[in-house]
Formats: sequence, C-alpha cells, structure tokens
Amino acid sequence: MKNTMTKKELVWNILVTLFALTLATIVSYLLVFVGGHPTNVSIVYMMAVVLISRYSNGYVPGVVASFISVVCVNLVFTYPYMHLNFAMDGYPITFIALMVISSITSATTTHLKHQNKIIHEREKLLMDAEKEAMRANLLRAISHDLRTPLTGIIGASSSYLENHHTMTEEEKAGLVGDIREDANWLLTMVENLLSVTRIRGSKAQVTKSLESVEEVVSEAVLRFHKRFPDTMVRVTVPDELVMVPMDATLIEQVIINLLENAVYHSNSKDPVSITLSREEGYARFDIRDRGIGIEPDRLSNIFDGYTSFPNRSVDSHKGMGIGLSICKTIITAHNGTITAGNESSGAVFTFTLPLGENICE
Amino acid sequence: MNKFTIAIIEDEKNILSFIESTLQRHDYKVIHALNGKDGLAIISSNCPDVILLDLGLPDIDGMDIIRNVRSWSAIPIIVISARTQEQEKVAALDYGADDYITKPFGTSELLARIRTTLRHGKSTISTIDGSVVQAPYQYKGLVIDFVKRLVTLNGHVVHLTQIEYKLVSLLAENSGRVLTYDFMINHIWGPYADNNNQILRVNMAHIRRKIELNPGEPNYIFTEIGVGYRMQESEY
Repeated sequence: MKNTMTKKELVWNILVTLFALTLATIVSYLLVFVGGHPTNVSIVYMMAVVLISRYSNGYVPGVVASFISVVCVNLVFTYPYMHLNFAMDGYPITFIALMVISSITSATTTHLKHQNKIIHEREKLLMDAEKEAMRANLLRAISHDLRTPLTGIIGASSSYLENHHTMTEEEKAGLVGDIREDANWLLTMVENLLSVTRIRGSKAQVTKSLESVEEVVSEAVLRFHKRFPDTMVRVTVPDELVMVPMDATLIEQVIINLLENAVYHSNSKDPVSITLSREEGYARFDIRDRGIGIEPDRLSNIFDGYTSFPNRSVDSHKGMGIGLSICKTIITAHNGTITAGNESSGAVFTFTLPLGENICE
Repeated sequence: MNKFTIAIIEDEKNILSFIESTLQRHDYKVIHALNGKDGLAIISSNCPDVILLDLGLPDIDGMDIIRNVRSWSAIPIIVISARTQEQEKVAALDYGADDYITKPFGTSELLARIRTTLRHGKSTISTIDGSVVQAPYQYKGLVIDFVKRLVTLNGHVVHLTQIEYKLVSLLAENSGRVLTYDFMINHIWGPYADNNNQILRVNMAHIRRKIELNPGEPNYIFTEIGVGYRMQESEY
C-alpha cells in the first residue's frame, strides 16, 4: 500500500509542500526585510516542515521540504544573500536539526495515521461481525420458527396418508385442520419476512402514499378474520376521515401482527379492541386486549425480539419476537413510534404515524 | 344442462390440481395449461367462459396474455396474483382483466369470484337490451333500488348526496367485483377529473358513515388497499 502512492496523493503532497514553503518564505521575507529579525527564519521554516510532515503522506515530502528549507534559509535569508555558503558557522547543525525534525515528525504522523487506519478497520470488522451475528440469530430464529410448523404439516399429512383408512372422520378433520393452522402460521411468517425486504430494499425507506387509516385498519381486520374467525375485534374510528402517508401493506402487517400477538399471548378469548384517534400532528392506533398483560421485565426490550433472545425458549415458538421487531422496524421506517404497556385490564400496544403535511400529490 | 368451462393457466402443479379438483366438484368443466403458449392455444380453441390466469408464468408475461385475449374476445379473466403486488393488480385490471384473486386464497373465495364474473359476463349483455328492469341490490339490511334511486338500510331510507348515490350504485351494479380508483373517478367525475383520489376517499368515508353500522368494520363496502373498492356480492 505504501509503494502505490496514487496520483491524487502525489498532487496533494506537492500542493501541501508548495503551500507551506511559500507561506514560510513570505513570512520569513517579512521578518527579515521588513521586521529585521533574521534569527527566527529557521524556526519559521522548521514549522513549515513540521506542518508538511503532518499533513502529507509518507516521509518524502518532509525530507524534500527540509532540504529545500535549508537551501532557502542559506540562499535567501542568510548573508551573503543569493549565495550558497555551507561553510558558515553552525550551519551544519541547523541543517541536520531540520532533517532530523522532519524525519521524526513524518515518521510519527505516518505511524499515527497507520494506527488510526488499523483501528478503523478493526472497528468495521467488529461491526460487521456484530451485524453478521444479528443476521445469524435472525436466521436461526426464523429457521426454528419455520421448522416447527413444517414438522407439524409433514407429520400430520404423512400420518393421514398412511393411516387414513383406519381413522375416523373426526380424526381426519383434526389432522387436516392442524395442517391448515400450521400453514396459515407459515404464511404470516413469510409475509413478515417479505415486509422486511420491502423496507431494506430501498435503504430503510418506504414508498408512502396517502391512505385513509380506517380503510387500512378494516382491511387488516378482515384479513385477520380469515385466519381467526372466532376472535372478536372491535374497531373505533374517529368521526373525521384521517389520511396518513404510509405504505399500507406494511401498516396492515403491523396491525395483523399486533392482533395475532394478542390472540397468542393474552391467554384470553375476550375481544381485542382497536382505537383510532387523531392527535396533534399524528394518527394514533391503540390495540388493547383483555388478557394477562406483559411481564414487566420484558416491556423494555419487547420489540428487540430476536436480538436479545438468541436462545429463545420453547414457549415463544409462535415467534412473537420476530413479529414485534418487524412492527418496530416498519413503524420506525415511517418515522413513527411504537410502545407497549399494561393497563388494569390487559396489554396495550400503541403506535403513531406522523400525519405529514397536507400534501396533495 | 351445459357446464361452464373454466380455463386455468398456472405453472404450479399443486395449485393447479387444487383449483381443478375444487372446480370440478362444483360442476365446472376445467381445462388447463402449464404455460402461456399452451394457455393461449387452449383459450382460442375452447373459448372458455372464464379464464383463471396466474401472472407469473415461465414463458409469457401475464399482461401480454391479457392483451392478446382482449384483442379478440371479451372472455372474463380473473388474475391470480400475490398480495404485495398492487401495481401488478392495477395494471392487469387496466389491461382488461375483470377481477383478481390474491394468493393464497380459499375455495369459497375462488368460487365467489368465478360466480361474480360469470354473472357480469351475462349482465353486460342484458343492459344493452335496455328494457329489462334492473334488479335491486340486496344484502343483509341494505337494499338499493336502482329504478327509484333509493337506498334503504333495515327499512330506513339512507340520505345520500348525488355523488354518494352514484358511487354506491356503481359499486352495487358491480357488486362482488373490484373497481379501481381510476375507474371510479373516471365514471363519476369524468375523464378530465383530477386523478388525485382524495376526493373519492372522502366520499367513501361519508358513505361508510351513513350505511355501515361501524365504519371501522364494514359489512358492505370493502377496501382493497392500493387498488380500489369492492362491494359485497348481492344476495340475488
């Protein structure tokens, strides 16, 4: 890497060197011929050499600059002017001192720069490794979540095929029902994963269009009912029409995830309620269940899902972690907020979406 | 009684066989093709009553098939599409598809779509006739009498503005079928209307508040996000 000084670096080095030396020459000129203090000329050049060593790459510019400085000091600013005279008193010392200073500065700065680079690279590697670990965790969690229903489907279907002539109609219906349940669950999972690709695809940005929140909620509830026809959902909408810029598919996914979360984790068959309201600058969605609530120690990182529970226990087989963390990702991409909490009657999940300017595209 | 013939163009054998067995059980005659080329061939040689078309075929783009079929026939086409591709659905409808069904779908949904499409295949012919009196729309408590231009909900008259009535009757005449935003705007406000669909949303919100018990849980008019609206199929 050291040998291949790029053209850009070369130009930069030359520019820095020329600039510093010119500046030093001007200052010295002023000192000697206007101010009349020839003693400080060497110091001025020394400073220039130090600066050059600091701001250029490699040793060469510093050494070249010190050589030029020595010649300049001797030729221009030392009597007899415009004559080279290296035999002057103490001159070799000035010369050597300049050389040594420039070399040391160059060496130090080069070394520092090199170390900085190494530290940077290490940090990047570390971050990459962390990302990699997160991805691996996510993948592990997903594969686990995918395998569970698949095992059920394969097991139930092969048991049906092998034993269907000895089974009662009821048993058959039960097996097929299980297959359907597992398959539906897989579908939600896959749609969640697809949602994530919809966000990641364009740098955590979403394509928004103005949508009416009540329409989005009612479609989400409709789709939710296809899977859970027996769970009651009560929707309350404000009297006025609230339009919010959003990616409706993703927001629907959030609502469905939260509804399913209520079904799986509230341990209650009571109706779930969705309340829409409009507040200063944003639309607010509250999803309440009448269940057992959320354990307080899980509240703080409930949306972090897979990252904080790399070895998730069996009871979370319904993949609550991934569903909620996807909700968080989606809402964050919309510049909204999402929170979870407990009320006296159960858990409540609240998310908000900014209304945006009243843009008419 | 002669059976309706349904052509299925779908490259996934499992999906094909599930659709085929469902339809055969419900007394439809089914023909199928696994790719677009064969699909066009069976359509032109059999002239089916409905075409079920999967958009993701290996050889020909689904849109090209729709265009090709529309160039010589008005056979109803139902597009089978994935949920996230609203653009694709709208494009398919613009190209002349009659409706779409989103993967994954249940058998009841599929049968309802086919029924609706077949019915509309007939109703377009009868409206040209003109003298036939249009049957009212009726579902649960909602009745729309197109002759009297009257909407009643559980026996009570619902007061709608001119535009609102036009929207509801447009949806009811096409009940069970999705209507795109653009189609509705063109139809109600004319071709030179601003195609910003906010005015449509506002009117739909008003209608919902007038005819739905709870606007958040509609019984009659459903939203197909990113595409348009669909009214519950009439009980007649």
